Amino acid sequence: MNTGGLINTKELQEAPSQTDAELQKATTPSQSISKPDYAILEAQLDAIKSEVKGKIGAEDAAYIRRIILIQRICEWSGRILLMLGFLQPVLWVAGVLSLAAAKILDNMEIGHNVMHGQYDWMNDSFINSKRYEWDIACDGASWNRVHNYEHHTYTNIIGKDRDFGYGLLRLSNDFRWRIKNLWQFATYILLSVMFQWGVSYHEMAAERVFFGKKKNNRKNQVTHSELKKRFFSKGARQLVKDYVLFPLLAGPLFLWVLSGNLIANLLRNLWTSTIIFCGHFTGDVETFNAEDCKNETRGQWYYRQALGSSNIEGGNLFHVLTGHLSFQVEHHLFPDIPARRYREMAPKVQAVFKQHGMHYNTGSFWKQYTSVLKRIVRYSFP
Amino acid sequence: MQQFKPAWRDGYYRAQVEAVRNLKSDMVEVILTPEKAWPSHIAGQHIALTIEVNGRLTTRVFTVACGSSFHRETKNIRLITKVNNEGAITPFLSSVTPSTWVNISVPKGSFTLPNTDKPVLMVAGGSGITPFIAMLEDAIENKLIHRAPIHLLYFAKPNEHVLQSELLALQKRTNNFTFALLTRQKDGDVEAHLSHFADAHWLVCGPNTIYEQVQKVAKLVEAPLDSEHFAALPTVNIGSLSEKETFSLAHNGQHLAVNNQKSLLSQLQEAKQPVTYGCGMGICHQCQCVKKRGVVRDTRTGELSDSAEQLIQLCVSQAVTDLEIQL
Ligand code: FES
Repeated sequence: MNTGGLINTKELQEAPSQTDAELQKATTPSQSISKPDYAILEAQLDAIKSEVKGKIGAEDAAYIRRIILIQRICEWSGRILLMLGFLQPVLWVAGVLSLAAAKILDNMEIGHNVMHGQYDWMNDSFINSKRYEWDIACDGASWNRVHNYEHHTYTNIIGKDRDFGYGLLRLSNDFRWRIKNLWQFATYILLSVMFQWGVSYHEMAAERVFFGKKKNNRKNQVTHSELKKRFFSKGARQLVKDYVLFPLLAGPLFLWVLSGNLIANLLRNLWTSTIIFCGHFTGDVETFNAEDCKNETRGQWYYRQALGSSNIEGGNLFHVLTGHLSFQVEHHLFPDIPARRYREMAPKVQAVFKQHGMHYNTGSFWKQYTSVLKRIVRYSFP
Repeated sequence: MQQFKPAWRDGYYRAQVEAVRNLKSDMVEVILTPEKAWPSHIAGQHIALTIEVNGRLTTRVFTVACGSSFHRETKNIRLITKVNNEGAITPFLSSVTPSTWVNISVPKGSFTLPNTDKPVLMVAGGSGITPFIAMLEDAIENKLIHRAPIHLLYFAKPNEHVLQSELLALQKRTNNFTFALLTRQKDGDVEAHLSHFADAHWLVCGPNTIYEQVQKVAKLVEAPLDSEHFAALPTVNIGSLSEKETFSLAHNGQHLAVNNQKSLLSQLQEAKQPVTYGCGMGICHQCQCVKKRGVVRDTRTGELSDSAEQLIQLCVSQAVTDLEIQL
């Protein structure tokens, strides 16, 4: 597996390469909706937050510990079942599913949320945003910088949020159309299949570490050589673990385990990618330009978060497996509240939006997913 | 790992709660069984105890209120503390059920019985009696006390002296130990009682007020003085936020003056310290670090932090007291 095929210079298309003037012209601000009273919006959402914050405690600590326990059980039973495949292939299938579930839980409900600082208040040296390292090719610290900082601060601000379109896809008129957008649907499928590597390479791609013109105007807190080192060491660790170490441990069952791990990783990649696309790139999400966030108040920031993300409706298990990112709107408003609390916040948030005439973007999985696919296809063309 | 060993934590020791008892209305005694690997203490030392309070691991420092011989024989140690209703831990101690697992640190501190041929004067205030009980136990057990007499002055509010029967028992075991139970209101100032002990080695443990008085007299009579005193918890005066105040910020062995007007992040940046940061508005947790001690104020909500070890975000924290952090 390598990332060379996935991302190369020519395919990298990123807004900072356009001038500010171009951006201004291209961006379609959300004129359609009348702006809410930001001060009231801020007060209302702050109130929802502080109410829930007051309730956070033993229950939430017990919950995350329980999820970690379940994740460990899934992982180990998955790894054992994979080796029993020779007895009965069904066991192998169960093993793959169990391992995939473990990886999904680790990445979504545990890794993503813990690394957001949702459980930092527990003072637990294992369950906190500085320390947690997840079972994915992406180095936790790199993800923290790009995702926690850029994406959550500058949500959907073209040119600042490097998550929008992942520098690969054209998902709004904010970007000029290029010929390669014609086959961006295929690019999207490839991105989903290789998602963990895409995430892992994300920061380096944006920094142009390997390809393309390096930018001098970025303030880098991390040197490029450090980025490279972290990328290769974390990536290698993951590859060795799944494709060398565990298969070797299985001895003659090498191939059973190897293919099982490969499929489990694939399932995880497809799942996480799909959930994340549904949370960010449905038809209705809006984009903003850098002007929008100059001297932004907290109310304005809330507003931008609210319109830049979308929810997916579903059952209990579904929410857990998405790491509660099915409540993407609430997650963007309150990124460091333990995610399981989004369920009780959602109706209140929705009521506030309604009062301000703001669109609360939610729908069934299929509705949101088709709308994502439509968006990808729509912007394939000029 | 935590799944198999409850409360297992890297860098800490585990201990199991054996019993919790109320001694006086506001004093509680906790008996712990530390795991075998725990290096035993020297009488007078303290440990950091971490328990889970409503999901949050909370840490406070307590003196081990027994000698190391007690630990050797029973495998237990005990802590005795005053319950402070506003406290982060003590109000919850009495509801900790036996067999709960908690964390303790290695024993720390150098407030131990001095190696001296002089007589020893111990001055205890309130729950400051605990290290002395431990020292006396071991001193008698190890026959150290025969070298020179020890006298204890124990100040507490009327009827608030704890462990009197243990003191009596200790006194019975040796001729060299005597003690007096005093209340400051009735028996006058601490100073009045000290003058007879000019040639002794002084030890004092208790609230700051007592410590200061003893220190003053010790200087006058040139008595050697070891002390452990609980600085009164920093008083935080929110009303005075508009007034600029300066505090000291310790990190990685350096000291920096910081004020209560700007965020810690911006002041660290101005001082060219190696801080990582991102959004500068409390979202991204890039600027997070461990605060070892001191109180900070969250600039978003005005909330004050705990005074013990805790994770804080530098960009939304202002100093309210002197601080120590780990970058
Ligand atoms: S810099 Fe982002 S939370 Fe402090």
